[in-house]
Amino acid sequence: MRRDGHRFRAAALGVLAIAAVLPLAGCGGAGEARAPGRNVIILGFDGLDYDLTAKLMAEGRLPNFSRLAESTPLQKLGTSVPPQSPVAWSNFITGTDAGGHGIFDFVHRDPGTMLPFLSTSRVIADPDAGEPIALGKCQIPTGAGEMELLRHGTPFWEKLERAGVETTVMRMPANFPPSGSATRELSGMGTPDILGTYGTFTYYTSELFFDDSKITGGGEVVEAWPEEGVVASELLGPDNPFTREKTKAKAPFQVHLDPDEPVAKLVVGDEERILEVGEWSDWVPVSLDLGLCGKLMMTPSIPANARFYLKSVAPEFQLYVSPLNLDPRNPVMPISTPEDFAGELAEVTGPFYTQGMPEDTKALEGGVLDRTQFLAQVSSAYEEEAAQYRHLLAGWKGGLLFLYFGAADLTQHTLMDTLDPGHPRWDPEVSPKFADAIPNAYARFDAFLGYTLGHMPKDTLVVVMSDHGFTSWRRAFGLNTWLWQNGYLNVTDPQAALSSKLFGAVDWSATRAYGLGINGLYVNLQGREKNGAVPESERLSLMRELKAKLLATIDPKTGQPAITQVFLREETYSDGGYRDIGPDLVIGYAKGTRGSSASALGEFEPEVFADNVDEWPGDHLMDPDAVPGILLTNRPLVRPAPTLSELHWSILAEFGVESGAAAK
Amino acid sequence: MSLLNSALRRLFDLLLLPFQSLPAAVGLVVVSLLAAVGMLWAFKRTSNQAGIEAAKRRIHAGIFEIRLFNDSFRQIWRAQAGILRANLTYLRYSLVPMLFILPPLVFVVAQLQFQYAYAQPAAGDRTVLEATFAPGWEKAGTVPASASGKPRATLELPAGLVAETPALWIPSQRTLSWRLRVEQPGDQTIGIRIGDRLYEKSFDGSRPLERRSPVRPGRSWLDQFVYPAERPLPSDGVLDRVTVDLEPAAVALPGWTVREMAGVPAWMTVFFLLSIVFAFALRRRFGVTF
Repeated sequence: MRRDGHRFRAAALGVLAIAAVLPLAGCGGAGEARAPGRNVIILGFDGLDYDLTAKLMAEGRLPNFSRLAESTPLQKLGTSVPPQSPVAWSNFITGTDAGGHGIFDFVHRDPGTMLPFLSTSRVIADPDAGEPIALGKCQIPTGAGEMELLRHGTPFWEKLERAGVETTVMRMPANFPPSGSATRELSGMGTPDILGTYGTFTYYTSELFFDDSKITGGGEVVEAWPEEGVVASELLGPDNPFTREKTKAKAPFQVHLDPDEPVAKLVVGDEERILEVGEWSDWVPVSLDLGLCGKLMMTPSIPANARFYLKSVAPEFQLYVSPLNLDPRNPVMPISTPEDFAGELAEVTGPFYTQGMPEDTKALEGGVLDRTQFLAQVSSAYEEEAAQYRHLLAGWKGGLLFLYFGAADLTQHTLMDTLDPGHPRWDPEVSPKFADAIPNAYARFDAFLGYTLGHMPKDTLVVVMSDHGFTSWRRAFGLNTWLWQNGYLNVTDPQAALSSKLFGAVDWSATRAYGLGINGLYVNLQGREKNGAVPESERLSLMRELKAKLLATIDPKTGQPAITQVFLREETYSDGGYRDIGPDLVIGYAKGTRGSSASALGEFEPEVFADNVDEWPGDHLMDPDAVPGILLTNRPLVRPAPTLSELHWSILAEFGVESGAAAK
Repeated sequence: MSLLNSALRRLFDLLLLPFQSLPAAVGLVVVSLLAAVGMLWAFKRTSNQAGIEAAKRRIHAGIFEIRLFNDSFRQIWRAQAGILRANLTYLRYSLVPMLFILPPLVFVVAQLQFQYAYAQPAAGDRTVLEATFAPGWEKAGTVPASASGKPRATLELPAGLVAETPALWIPSQRTLSWRLRVEQPGDQTIGIRIGDRLYEKSFDGSRPLERRSPVRPGRSWLDQFVYPAERPLPSDGVLDRVTVDLEPAAVALPGWTVREMAGVPAWMTVFFLLSIVFAFALRRRFGVTF
């Protein structure tokens, strides 16, 4: 809701601007091609587990899944090595494995610096850019960075488009920036917020002793005090590119508190919302001001959108602000093909989460949102996606329609203890209250499938799939600590090592292997790593030695092996041009065990094994055989698909494109 | 002002009545055509047509002069100065008719704004209702207030509107606000009872096109000028103005949906664009030069 008092006067002044505005109006749509042949809808549900799906179907909670299973039985779909979403979806997208598409983990490392980076996209600097031109306190940038998609290989939709099939690809993971090869696409997992992160919320609070130790990234805490009934603060955006001094783009906001009732008015620029305690706002447009320098450069602000949740006004003021999402009508980064597709969706179905993973697990982990609030947030993100799908399905002219849903994945990550009384986080008082959350997430997808079956064109093939399964994560394995304890990794100071980050206290000259990412294990190789210590001639024997030892590791609490598979790079991945950037070994943890979060980022723990008591009780980054995905179709596929990579070829075969073994 | 506004409201309600059930673009085409005809007529009668014609000829002559003598700096300079002088003359001749055209146009635009600028509320929409108290309201002693100084007010809502929040009091702005949800749009009147007085605000949504105003003005003459669509609040009351948030309306043209841009309402973009097009198209028929 916008303040309207000055609209008319602004409008009268705006008359003079009409002439300037008119040229913008004549944008027309491109001609539309009709898709030949068959129609295929793929519903990609991230993290739907085979065993749990089968159980819920048997209980009658997934009637539409069961309906489909009458024609073709529910099938396990082999996942990727390792079973991480960016890797798994890339297998499906390209029909190859990580050796062919180059995505081995959420994070990769630069062996030259030993620093981790996000694996699916990066900013590349403009090669022609020089130093910014200084103008007093302002500066003119001489070039702009560009986002680059690091996933290689040819997507199935590109092959279909070449064959004349119209494709719509919604929120496909590992597809940011969008490939540009679909008729319509919206980028998904991997799409950053306005700060360039995977999502950074802000928590404004007057609590003096708020414990922010659990917010390890993805969130900021800002002190905010009411003064005479008003809390005034700022939303902080990215660095201002037009100032010589380092400043942030920012948007001031105020929250006016009622003196008697738990209600407040939020004012951000021209936008106003009235919120009661416990309410979420809709999307509030935010203009991140770039100051005088921005105005001089004809870029006064950066557009973004945010949602607000008023947790409390008394005795403490508590306000959660979502990550600042891109404005789909005016995104500052490419998020769709064609570029105005995101804006068109927003016009029809309203603003939406543009960040790749909208479910704010960081706020839950950080204690800023509780489970009820988190589930409400998950639900609203789902509703946005569902509304967009209904709109697209209504106007669908055939061809291929793919839609991705991530809600079940993140609900299982954060609430799996509710289905596992043996989990260290199981709380007999609390966990059972949320026991329906995960089954409900599955049931929601079932209803969605039912809608699809009721509204799709006749003879459409429906493919329900997931990229991997899920299970309870009870035990954490500190891979770097294990390497340290077993003499493969050495530190300069044991005490310092326990508190250092990113291998801060590692003695690289005496280190032969290190872990990075949840499943990745690298040899500290001479000529590749910055301070490599292992000659190439010893690499393979070291890898085999590590594999044998890791497979023999027993969890002292369970008496069971902690690791059930170890994959050697050369034995696992195809030589598709990118195998060399992956880990030398990939660890397949036993079901219920996972690599610790600290170890994934080059940290050490006092013990190798620990109970997992994080607000992240479910996971799938284990032995791929332990966490298969699902496949369900309304009729048998022309070409069977036992794995995600095979499903790529099966989809092509449905359209008669590159079918048969020769195609691979 | 109140009487003038009242008369204009009736006039425009009557004039636009035939178009209320048609797409906004239809009414705007007719209104733009009438406005163009009116402006051409007024321009012809109030402007120095011969002078304008002469100024335009001098500008053309100057441009030709520059082309012909493009190797002579002095000649170009003299031609530029001549063009500038002719331009100023042209502007002077154009200003006079504008003095006659603009005042009535402002009243026309003010009325059209409330017919075309705001979208029909739909079920599920939310709006903020805000009542602004007059300075010194508390001294009147007629308004009951809580211990914190928050005035007590109750909403009297018609069926189809629901208050989703309690009243929010912002002392520094002297405003009481509520968030309302539309359950069933219609021609509705929102009542705010303060003490023994009832203050009303229209919230019309029965038809796509009808007079809608975000503000019911109070004593302020400027408010009454800018928001002429509703009669002012009683001058002896404690409220200065009552507002509701209304969403801007788009205008659908064939192949182009015009939306509010940079604060310019969609209808105004269409109105001025069409007026200009019609004015150019009809200028020879009216024997007008500009």
